[in-house]
Amino acid sequence: MIELYPAGKRYTVKNDWLESNLGFSFGEYYDPSNIQFGPLRVFNDDTVQPGKGFGIHPHREAEIVSIVLKGQLKHEDNLGNSGIISRGNIQRISAGTGVLHSEFNASNQEEVQFLQLWFLPNEKKLIPSYEDISYDIEHLHNHLLPVISRTSSDRVAKIHQDLTLYLSKLEDKKTLNFRQETGRKIYVFNIEGEISINKDSILKSRDAARITDTHEITIQGNKDSFFLLIDLPGGEF
Amino acid sequence: MLMIRHSIGSRLLCQTNRYTIEKKDHHWLISLPVDVEIASGILDFQDELNIFEVKENEKIWYYSSDAQINFQSKEKQLMILADHKTVYPTQ
Repeated sequence: MIELYPAGKRYTVKNDWLESNLGFSFGEYYDPSNIQFGPLRVFNDDTVQPGKGFGIHPHREAEIVSIVLKGQLKHEDNLGNSGIISRGNIQRISAGTGVLHSEFNASNQEEVQFLQLWFLPNEKKLIPSYEDISYDIEHLHNHLLPVISRTSSDRVAKIHQDLTLYLSKLEDKKTLNFRQETGRKIYVFNIEGEISINKDSILKSRDAARITDTHEITIQGNKDSFFLLIDLPGGEF
Repeated sequence: MLMIRHSIGSRLLCQTNRYTIEKKDHHWLISLPVDVEIASGILDFQDELNIFEVKENEKIWYYSSDAQINFQSKEKQLMILADHKTVYPTQ
């Protein structure tokens, strides 16, 4: 089954420095029917104005992935990590027993757009850790490029959950096939352009699909597109 | 001031100046009077609570990793046994 979640139906938080479009219940937005999809618990599509950001705040028991789409995101935490990530970088924080951090737009001129995903970890009380990686943008073309996985490797960040997150840039009319083991789930989020899944399910910019009981899909670019796909475990979380 | 927030998105569940924090071995017993409705809203998210104590020059984050939280309905007293305490770095 392929369930489509159009961009326009997301809950939006907007103020003078932040626009956050929420894929799942988060903060003041609470919908008991939209808490999570497998271990995927948060999918925030954020735009932060120049020089602004999230001051020091805590996280615990979450695997947090930040994917910058435009601009620069500055991170600092109480583990001693700091840095600036931009398009082509991915940051992973395992909050575990607790981390305090801040996230700010590093630029005073340009807004920063980023996706922030939180996953439930497969183990509690982990020692907090941080990692950022650079992926090869050229390798995205018409190819599912793994960037987050439970097994770390070159240019792939390790996450404490049985999942793989892929990025891809699909040219107009090109297709990709994805197959997973039965019993698992697929989450697709179209970042830019337009794609179709198994011909009939069309995702425009910022639309998402939650896929269950369908373990082989064909994705076609209806325009030049940029999307992410997450191969998620099945079962209850 | 004491604030109890949901750990996913920081929704405020309770804010009060009437509370006590008592050190007990490696834990901190946080007690506060709350009405039944607020207690219910907190207990709904007992696995996902962050507790903040905000003083004039200090902010402290507590949580109970095993959700050790209890509401005594007769006394209308909420008690949280926290096993984690982090003092925010000075700005």
